[in-house]
Amino acid sequence: MTSYLTRRLLQMVPLVIGISIIIFLLLAAAPGDPVDLLLFGNPHITADDVVRLKHLYGLDQPLHIRYVKWVWAALHGDLGYSRTYKVPVLSLLWERVGNSLWLQVPAFLIALAVAVPVGITSALRQYSALDYGATFFTFFGLSIPAFWFGIMMIYIFAVAHPWTALPALAWLKFPAGGFNSPGVAAGLPTYVDRVHYVVLPALVLSLLFMASYTRYTRSSMLEVIRQDYIRTARAKGISELTVINRHALRNALIPLVTIVALSIPGLFSGAPLTETVFGWPGIGRLLVDAVLAGDFAVAQGIILFLAGLVIAFNLLADVSYALLDPRIRYD
Amino acid sequence: MTDLRQGASGAVLAASLAARPEVGGEGYWQIAWRRFKKHRVAIVGASVILLFMATAVFAPFLTRYEFDQIDLYRRKAVPSFSHPLGTDELGHDVFTRLLYAGRISLTVGFTAALTAAVLGTLVGGISGFYGRWLDNVLMRVTDVMFSIPALPVLIVLARYMGGSVLGIVLVLSVFAWMGTARLVRGDMLRLRTQDFADAARALGASDARILFRHLVPNALAPVLVAGTLTVGGAILSEAGLSFLGIGIQPPTPSWGNMLQNAQDFIWTTPWLAVWPGAMIFLTVLSFNFLGDGLRDALDPRLKV
Repeated sequence: MTSYLTRRLLQMVPLVIGISIIIFLLLAAAPGDPVDLLLFGNPHITADDVVRLKHLYGLDQPLHIRYVKWVWAALHGDLGYSRTYKVPVLSLLWERVGNSLWLQVPAFLIALAVAVPVGITSALRQYSALDYGATFFTFFGLSIPAFWFGIMMIYIFAVAHPWTALPALAWLKFPAGGFNSPGVAAGLPTYVDRVHYVVLPALVLSLLFMASYTRYTRSSMLEVIRQDYIRTARAKGISELTVINRHALRNALIPLVTIVALSIPGLFSGAPLTETVFGWPGIGRLLVDAVLAGDFAVAQGIILFLAGLVIAFNLLADVSYALLDPRIRYD
Repeated sequence: MTDLRQGASGAVLAASLAARPEVGGEGYWQIAWRRFKKHRVAIVGASVILLFMATAVFAPFLTRYEFDQIDLYRRKAVPSFSHPLGTDELGHDVFTRLLYAGRISLTVGFTAALTAAVLGTLVGGISGFYGRWLDNVLMRVTDVMFSIPALPVLIVLARYMGGSVLGIVLVLSVFAWMGTARLVRGDMLRLRTQDFADAARALGASDARILFRHLVPNALAPVLVAGTLTVGGAILSEAGLSFLGIGIQPPTPSWGNMLQNAQDFIWTTPWLAVWPGAMIFLTVLSFNFLGDGLRDALDPRLKV
């Protein structure tokens, strides 16, 4: 295991270098560096100032020097300074990641809680009405544009909600967007109030997660129940419940662990579209705002942070796979 | 025991020989077509796609308005006989814009998927065919592209290159070729050692000829399935970018940018938000059904 881990870690080195170069070039090659943008906003800047500022920020140096300096700073936790928010990118990032998790964690948990049982039942009763229903549902979830689904949910639950005419259902409506009601006391009341705002966007997000998790659970379960050891277990005369729970399920969930590990970076990335529709101040919305405002230091920081998470969780997925599945011997 | 087994395999052989004339000259694609026809949702998907393509192509004959024709006296009009789906906040006829937006969305989807399929086949083909260091380098590049969070990078790239249809297509295809490349590479590793590849080499065929005439055609099934699913994915991404305001720019209509302002008017004219999204949803759903049907018809074991 140790040698496998070492090898995997070494393999990551070129990957990390490659990704960092691409991210750097992506934003260094952007038309208009920060000084050009400054010039655009302030007509009093002279040509001398431009030369001086470009020298000050190291923008007059060749690309490879700038890349090394950028990596060096990033390794020391310096992701640059946001032009529009006037704060270091890193502190901005932390604040927004927390906000995004408010949406992502409930969405993720709801999705898992629905997808695993549905996927398993769907596989055990292949070609039943339930299986067809679940398969159709996954196709819907994979094809629906998140932002449109969000707008429709807002219309139904925040604008129209015709059922609120019934006193019993009067509570069944949600805010059209936002993060908190105005004037709520800080601390616990804020969090309680926020739950109200979480419901709709979390449901929209969970549908997207749910579709792919159901699909993976179903196909993985289908693969497992066709195996010889399942037939052997049944032939021994153990009850069907034990066969499913002890023999099939434990094996079928191994691939799901990988998929779940791989989707965790997505939790942190927020969902630019859903957050935009619901006006949620998460990291996805931050990225969109930063890009629209030309604040590329923020965009660069977010992408670097996310790429780091993707790499880390890729490694974690591989390692957990090796730990969970004794058939896999890497060394 | 031995007799029995021989007897059984003999019977199977006899049966397969007997069955042969019936199957006759039916080739791979004919068998696939026969299986595809049985996949009802895929047929429905294909029909919807053909219908939307037709309405996009013949848009000028289906409406009497121009897509950029504004009528400030009839803004946000409710659906009526003259404007079957109403008008938007500038007085554009929504039905007309839906038809013309279909042109943009379908063009972006098809060209991005085609570009990605060609790129993926090239990278995967060369990687699997030549192997060794070239394979190593190309596959590491593929890994890198896979590890980059696609949507955030798309948002950044679309900001520079978006606006034009060509820019969006380029940006989307750059992030859509990796799956195809891995599939094609796998097939190449298997195919290049087979006898027909050796035979072609013995006859003096060049590398390029062996690769593109003999090997790649044998690996087209996964490319086709992945390509079909990519069309849907590209349409979804384009719609998302245009919705955020960094994709196709108005006055050119796209299903995504038609939704951009619709949310602001949800309290007054909710129907503006319904149609463009429904079109995206139906189109993407159709491509996903079609891709599923193609996979079942061409190779059910494919994990695309």
